[in-house]
Amino acid sequence: MDALRVPVLSVITWSPFVGALLIMFTARRRPLAVRLIAVVTTGVSLLLSLWIWVAYDPEAAGFQFYEKVALVPPLGIAYELAVDGISLLLVLLTAIIIFAGVFASWTVAVRSQEFYALLLALVTGVFGVFVSLDLLVFFLFYELAVLPMYLLIGVWGSSGEVRPRGIFAWAYRATGVGTKEYAAMKLTLYLLFGSAFILVGIFALWVHAGAGSFSYLDLEAAQFAPGVQRWAFLAFYLGFGILAGIWPLHTWSPDGHASAPTAVSMLHAGVLMKLGAYGIVRVGMGLLPEGAAELVWLVGTVGSINVVYGAFSAMAQTDLKYVIAYSSVSHMGLVLLGAATLTEAGLNGSVFQMFAHGIMTGLFFALVGLVYEKAHSREIGKMGGFGKAMPGIATAFTVGGLSSLGLPATAGFVAELLTFMGAWRSGHRWWLFPAVAGTFLTAVYVLRVAKQIFWGPASPHLHPVEDARGPEWVALVLLVFVLVLFGMAPGLLLGPVDTATVPLLSRIVGP
Amino acid sequence: MLPDPIAAGVLELALGAVLLLVFVLNFFARGEDRRWLAGAALGGVLAVGALSLVVTPLPARPGGMFVQDGLALFAKRLFLGATVIGLLAGLGARPASGRRAGEYHLLLLTSLLGMLVLASARDLVLLFVAFELMSIPLYVLAGFLKREATAVEASLKFFLVGSVSSAVLAYGLSFVYGAARSTDLAKVAQAVPTAEPLLLLGLLAVLAGLAFKIAAFPFHMWVPDTYEAASTPFVAWLSVAPKAAGFVVLFRVYFEGMGARAEVWTPLAAGLATLTIVAGNLMALPQQNTKRLLAYSGVAHIGYMLVGFAAASASGTAMILFYLVAYVFGNMGAFLVVEAVARAEGSEATAALRGLAQRSPVLALAMLLFLLSLGGIPFVAGFWAKLYVFWAAASAGLYWLVLVGAILTVVALFYYLLLAKRMYIEAPERTGPIRLSAPLMLALVLCALGVVALGVYPKPVVMAALRVAAPLF
Repeated sequence: MDALRVPVLSVITWSPFVGALLIMFTARRRPLAVRLIAVVTTGVSLLLSLWIWVAYDPEAAGFQFYEKVALVPPLGIAYELAVDGISLLLVLLTAIIIFAGVFASWTVAVRSQEFYALLLALVTGVFGVFVSLDLLVFFLFYELAVLPMYLLIGVWGSSGEVRPRGIFAWAYRATGVGTKEYAAMKLTLYLLFGSAFILVGIFALWVHAGAGSFSYLDLEAAQFAPGVQRWAFLAFYLGFGILAGIWPLHTWSPDGHASAPTAVSMLHAGVLMKLGAYGIVRVGMGLLPEGAAELVWLVGTVGSINVVYGAFSAMAQTDLKYVIAYSSVSHMGLVLLGAATLTEAGLNGSVFQMFAHGIMTGLFFALVGLVYEKAHSREIGKMGGFGKAMPGIATAFTVGGLSSLGLPATAGFVAELLTFMGAWRSGHRWWLFPAVAGTFLTAVYVLRVAKQIFWGPASPHLHPVEDARGPEWVALVLLVFVLVLFGMAPGLLLGPVDTATVPLLSRIVGP
Repeated sequence: MLPDPIAAGVLELALGAVLLLVFVLNFFARGEDRRWLAGAALGGVLAVGALSLVVTPLPARPGGMFVQDGLALFAKRLFLGATVIGLLAGLGARPASGRRAGEYHLLLLTSLLGMLVLASARDLVLLFVAFELMSIPLYVLAGFLKREATAVEASLKFFLVGSVSSAVLAYGLSFVYGAARSTDLAKVAQAVPTAEPLLLLGLLAVLAGLAFKIAAFPFHMWVPDTYEAASTPFVAWLSVAPKAAGFVVLFRVYFEGMGARAEVWTPLAAGLATLTIVAGNLMALPQQNTKRLLAYSGVAHIGYMLVGFAAASASGTAMILFYLVAYVFGNMGAFLVVEAVARAEGSEATAALRGLAQRSPVLALAMLLFLLSLGGIPFVAGFWAKLYVFWAAASAGLYWLVLVGAILTVVALFYYLLLAKRMYIEAPERTGPIRLSAPLMLALVLCALGVVALGVYPKPVVMAALRVAAPLF
């Protein structure tokens, strides 16, 4: 029992932040020390995340590892942390991605001290969102997770090679579309715009619950009137949906992810977009069951559009990073579609997809970052035949791609199968068609890219390239390993997830 | 134990003494460098500030014109704190330490005295007198750099607009007196439920007069010109202290003794808040001068405070008080960074901030903190400030107002981030760090500490604000 008294979740959350402070104040002009601090502090988070995943008691279910400190009592704001089966998984995902991200950005040369400090501060925000039970603290961490992004993309990002064409070219040039500054600003403003709706929703819950508390547990016990449920769910859906990349508010995502430096793309596409979906499931569906039951048709339908639209957009891209970014939009559609089915299989699939896609996208962005660094280009057409020169990267890309299109024995397969089953059993069977079509289209664009870049004839345009080196391997091996492990043994993850999704669903559709 | 009237006015008397001291010392001042005179004024204000910390609130006597209650004391500490920071920042630079240092400080302290009295005024006549005592020195101070044409223009504009607003205020007060048949604010509050049109008209005119002072849209047009032309440490102070005073008057006139009936003002205040937030933020977008940008963003901040006013509740009032405290640190800090950069670069344009992060990382970090606080980002004071006023408005059922406010925050962050981009992303035009004078650095450190401390641990100030606001209702 002694081990339980250690505030594990707080340590997981704040360890990277401590790392950020240490980097700012002790590691001036010592790049190796900066990286070591980053590895150690994120390593602590990773180990503890693994530990809580092992120690989580699926029999008892519910929220565990509870911590509480009252912050502003009259308003009922408290620093209240706990994890259940869903957040457990996402904490683990965050820990894996950032650990890999630290290695993947080993070669950042310019102002690396500030880069790592901001990156770690950002991660604290992400962890905080997943573990906080108090909605206001949740919001606080959410905002904390959005802002460092601006500087990370603006300073260390890369601008695209896209030339503006067509009758709106002047507008593109005037706003600087494609540049990193534009992408950074667009991403930040979109997400803050979404957070405005979230804030209103949170306050509405506080007022209508009448419990004088922002705690998830207190709000869960409250009964909200149908009218409030409806509009508050819409507010949460819109707010979190922007972060999850719902069509047509997704356009920040390709721009942002394409311009961001590698580790930030990994973290943002891999984890932060999941945070949006998590918000919809946890806050929207968890607290507003009637509103959710009434509006899932909207969530699922927009999700279907996302799947197909994202896949077609990905097919049309010539910039490698944009392909991956649009594939995120497509996969986030699957996540939301799975949740909207309101079936056990569908919701489990949705949560599993969050995890699987997080790892997958993390891997893709790490790989693209490496390819860009070696080949100095993101243009698919200019690259070719890298399979011989960088076999490791090519293999990892292929594994990720196969998982992305849902090949059995990879994590992506489990997630997609569960989602399809959920869609079939839901009240909207036709959702199955966009879901399956999305998978098919994914196969088209992923295999096309893999063939062109890695397995095709060598490109005459580029200078010789080489394979991943040293610390970069850590990121690739870790991510590929996780992807295959949970594809082979999905039960490892689904056990705890099930304990959280079943009670959540029973509140919406009845036992 | 002091007799009651003296105990209630002890801060005003002490400040009066400081004022006389500065006046007398001014006779002995010679030469160009009158830094010691500025130091004496600062010391005096510091002493009064220390005194304000030991003074305890006194119960209001029925029919009293002057009250030293919790609200008054809270506001006075705020004014004194802001003045200390403002004077500190001006120390050692022109015009605050130049040949006319005596006049500068006399005017500033007189205005401060007006604010102190204003915070305690419970009577229409005293309120108006204190209001004028506060305002008139400000007109002179705004044109203090009299050799610059822009300063004269700005001062004149400020003076004309201010006089008109005073006239409107006086006119409105006369209506209020006519309808309530008393100059006592408590009697006015009792008369409101009869909702006599004359009284409401009067209070409406008073609101217009006060809106000029706090610079709510559409009464804001003096703000950018005045801010741009006047000396920056003074502007930093001007942008917070008189506005806080204006809000205290709003509380006294519109809330005190009204109880739940204060909701009469909700639609009006909500409309004014919406206009002010939208207009302030949109007009700040194209600004290329940092002071003008901060001026317009300040207008928007007044709008956010009016959101709390629209809540018309004790929590709304308390959250405005908290907002004001956060605003003092964040806004003054931002102005002082502009001053620091302007002293080195000779320019107040946003372009002067280019590459600041590579030249003076700490100064850039401080500016970033202030901007984030103004923008309302977690772990700095402004986040809680915005959150609390929104919470108060949501508790009053004004969800649409919260949504408008929160969405316009995105616009605000856009222009704050453009400044951040100048500092962090763009390359510097010149190399070498920016040197700060010690007092200015101290003032900046105070602001930064305030912003961070309130951001990490807002509880004491929130509780204090809630405590002083509760008796109003």
